[in-house]
Parts: sequence; C-alpha cells; structure tokens
Amino acid sequence: MIELRGLTKKFGDFTAVDGLSFEIKTGEFFGLLGPNGAGKTTTISMMSTVLLPSSGEIYIDGTKLTRAASEQKRKLAVITQEYSMRQDMTMDEVMEYQGRLYYMPRKQIKERSAQLLEFAGLSDYHRRTVRHLSGGMKRKLMICRALLIEPEILLLDEPTAGMDALSRRQMWNLLKQVNNRDMTILLTTHYIEEAEALCDRVAMINRGRLQKLDSPQVLIKELGEFTVDETGEGDLKSSHFATREEAIRYLESTGAGSVLRQTTLEDVFIDVAGRKLQ
Amino acid sequence: MGIITVLWEKWVEFRRDFYKITVAAMISPLMYLIIFGLGIRVTSHGQPYIQFLVPGLVAMCTMTGSFSAIAQNMSVQRLYEKALDQVMVSPTPLWQFILGQIIGGSLRGMYAACVILVLTTPVRRGLVFNGLSFFIMLLNGMVFATLALVLSFLAKTYSDAPRFNTYIIMPMTFLCNTFFSTEEIPDGFRQVIEIIPLSQASGMIRSIAQGEAPELIGFAVLAGWLVILGTISVVFIYRKKNL
Repeated sequence: MIELRGLTKKFGDFTAVDGLSFEIKTGEFFGLLGPNGAGKTTTISMMSTVLLPSSGEIYIDGTKLTRAASEQKRKLAVITQEYSMRQDMTMDEVMEYQGRLYYMPRKQIKERSAQLLEFAGLSDYHRRTVRHLSGGMKRKLMICRALLIEPEILLLDEPTAGMDALSRRQMWNLLKQVNNRDMTILLTTHYIEEAEALCDRVAMINRGRLQKLDSPQVLIKELGEFTVDETGEGDLKSSHFATREEAIRYLESTGAGSVLRQTTLEDVFIDVAGRKLQ
Repeated sequence: MGIITVLWEKWVEFRRDFYKITVAAMISPLMYLIIFGLGIRVTSHGQPYIQFLVPGLVAMCTMTGSFSAIAQNMSVQRLYEKALDQVMVSPTPLWQFILGQIIGGSLRGMYAACVILVLTTPVRRGLVFNGLSFFIMLLNGMVFATLALVLSFLAKTYSDAPRFNTYIIMPMTFLCNTFFSTEEIPDGFRQVIEIIPLSQASGMIRSIAQGEAPELIGFAVLAGWLVILGTISVVFIYRKKNL
C-alpha cells in the first residue's frame, strides 16, 4: 500500500503540492487527474524521490520512502512524462543499464529484455540509439524498461501523451494486463476517458490540493448521471441531473441545439477544475 | 555492485566515443607541448623546459579528462535527458553511484594522461613515471571528478557546464604548477595556489619524474579535497530537495 501523508512541495513562494493525503491499495489502478500545473508531475517526482517534499511523507507498505530506502525503491518503476533516458545508448544498453541498477542477473536481463522488446514491436531496432527513435518508440521503450524489473508499483506520468489512438488503446490493454498481475498502478493523465476506462479510483487535484477522491462511477453519480449541453452563442454550458426525467424537463426548457447525454468523468473533472480541459 | 554498474555505463560511453575522447585528450596538451616545449625553446631550472612541462601536462590531463568526463555528462543527464531520474528511483545506493562516477571519471583522466605519456615518449628523456605517479594521477582525477559532480548538481542550466570550465578549470590550468613553478608566485597568492589540488599533483608527479621523493603534504591536500568534495556530493544526492 502507498500512503501520502500531508505531502507538500514548495518552490520558493509557489506551492505546487499542498498537503496531499490519500492511500493507494495494493493492486489498485489509481488515477491522479488535474489540469495543467495541478501538481501531478510534482507528486510523481516526489514518489520517485527525484524531488524531496517540503513537508509530509510517503509510505510504501508502512515504511517511509526516502532516497536511501533501497528496499522500497526496488518495488518501484516510473515512466516519466519526459523521455528520461540516455540518448546516446542503444535500446539494448538502456535495458541492460536498468537491469543492472536493479541487480538483475545478466542472463535474465537479456532474456526478459528480448521478450519485452519483441512484445512492444521494437526488437528490429534493438541496436538503434535512443536519439534515433521516434517519440512513440521512445515511449514504448520506457514502458519495456519499467516492466523489465517486474515492479510491484508502477508510476505512470502521462504515459500515452503524444500517442495515436491505436497505440493508446494498445497501451490501455497492456496496462490492464499488468494490473491483473496485482501490480499497483498510479496513472496521471490528461485523457480523462483513459482514467475512466482504466482506474478503480481517481483523485482529482487542483492547485496542488485534493478536490475529490472516489471511483469514477461514484464521482459521476455524485455530479448527476445525465448532462444537458447547451450550445448557445457563448461558451458551452453543461448542466447535470440525477435522473433522466429531470434532464429531459430541463432540455425542453432550453432552446434548439441542446443535447442530452450521459455524464462522463470529464464532466466531473471540469466541474472540479472550474474550467475546460486544455 | 552499483559501482560496477556505473563503471559499465562509463565503459559503454568510452567504447562508443573512443576516437572523440582520445582526440579531445590530445589536442590542448599537444598544443602546449608544441608551443612551449618545442616552439619556444627555453631552459628552466637548468634543464630543457619540456622536462619541466611534461609532468605538469600529465597532471593537467588527469584534471581536464576527469572533470570533463563527469561535468558535461552529469549536467546533460540531470538537466536535459533527465536520465538521472532512472538512477534516483532505482534501488542502487546513491553513494555507490557517486563512488562509481568518481572512479569512472578518474579512470578517464588517467587515460588522457596516458595518451600524453605515449605522445611525449620521443621528447621526454630520463623522466620517471612509476606506480606512485599513477596513484597520484588517480587521486587527482578522483578529486576533479568529484568537483565536477558537485558543480553538475549545482548547475541550473545546461550551459553552466562550459562556464564551470572557463571559471575554474582554465585558471587552474595556467596557474597551478603546470607551466611554471608556484615558487614564482608572490607570497599570499602562492599559498592560495598551493592548496589547489592540481598544484600539489603537478608538484608530486614532477618530483617523482625527476627522481625525487614527493612531498607527503601533497597527498594530504588531495585526500582532504577528496573527502570534502565527496561529502558534499553525497549530501547533495541524498538531501538536495530539487535534484
């Protein structure tokens, strides 16, 4: 289990993460959502110990996570938003470096690395240096690198950013598969439908503060399962209703161009963020 | 184990960039040799100047080789590639990562010095380079690899690395016992220059090269710098809030 207790990160006068507290259960697929600058990446960076909190703590299975906590870090793998890899290494070297950092035997590194690169459709390029890979290939390589060590906890910071729709779907399937093996996954994403499709629970944060935390279904129910979108001359206005009847009554009172639909997690997100998604 | 991993990474880098590293190690010392050793033929301390110059250049090469192997690389990994994140999140103890960098950087410095020793074989006569000389090169390289680590942790932008070279390494190259003896420097300033590791490394390597015993204080100065800078780099990697 992962516990965040009053996690706060300040950069000078700016507070990026402000007293964040929640728990992620073992084997859970957990989403961390928020608008740009909400503090998602900063939170992941603290969970990977790249940044140290200004105050508050992170616990993994009851033990405080620090830069010296090798046993806790052994359980963790991170896929960062940026391509955090040596650009001058080949794919094989990137994988071997990762395996060595996690004390894997060389034979195991080679075997597992070959399997993962094959699985990701990268095996033909295994001797190519990272700087000569496309963005999508780099992203896949980062996933292979993270899975090489068979982590108990996988931290994913915008893993599908920049991917086409097909690749994104493939990624979803892959993440579902690894989550079925009792891997705890923390996902930050801009694609709210991704969180809705994958996550058992989601935390919504804004300006570093926790706004809502529950399963997507409960959050949608809380807001109202039916939404009427009014496309007037100004901005799109959405109203949410608990029942279809209420929504229809409202729809009939509005002008032409209004639409009734099911509420999505994105509506919850927009409601929380107080503005539209970028 | 973590140390071996870092040394493996350094080996991968060295193997890939072998020619670039070798040529880079040769260029500036070769220029100094041609200009000061062969072009301007002078004598110093009753012997050809080149006999004075070669040990200084060897010490200088361990400094520049070690420093550049780490400073540039770590700054890029930390600020541009973000590849340091991979190490930070891994279970490899960070002190082992630091020690691996220091040893790896120092070996690169020693390689640069060995290139110069080979190049100067035809012109240096009677100069002695023994096991103790190589130990001093290793120690000097470790000091400057550690300095490079500390500075790369302090770097805020990618372009800071070349600035460190200009502000720190270049003045040391010219002032610290490479081209002229620190005895020529006025009192007050001389004492400051003498506590700089390169001055001591050059002095000791030169003494051995001329068949004399090195001054033991030199080892103490180098070891002192290594302990201070090593402690700072370990504190940085464990405690620095925003790495």
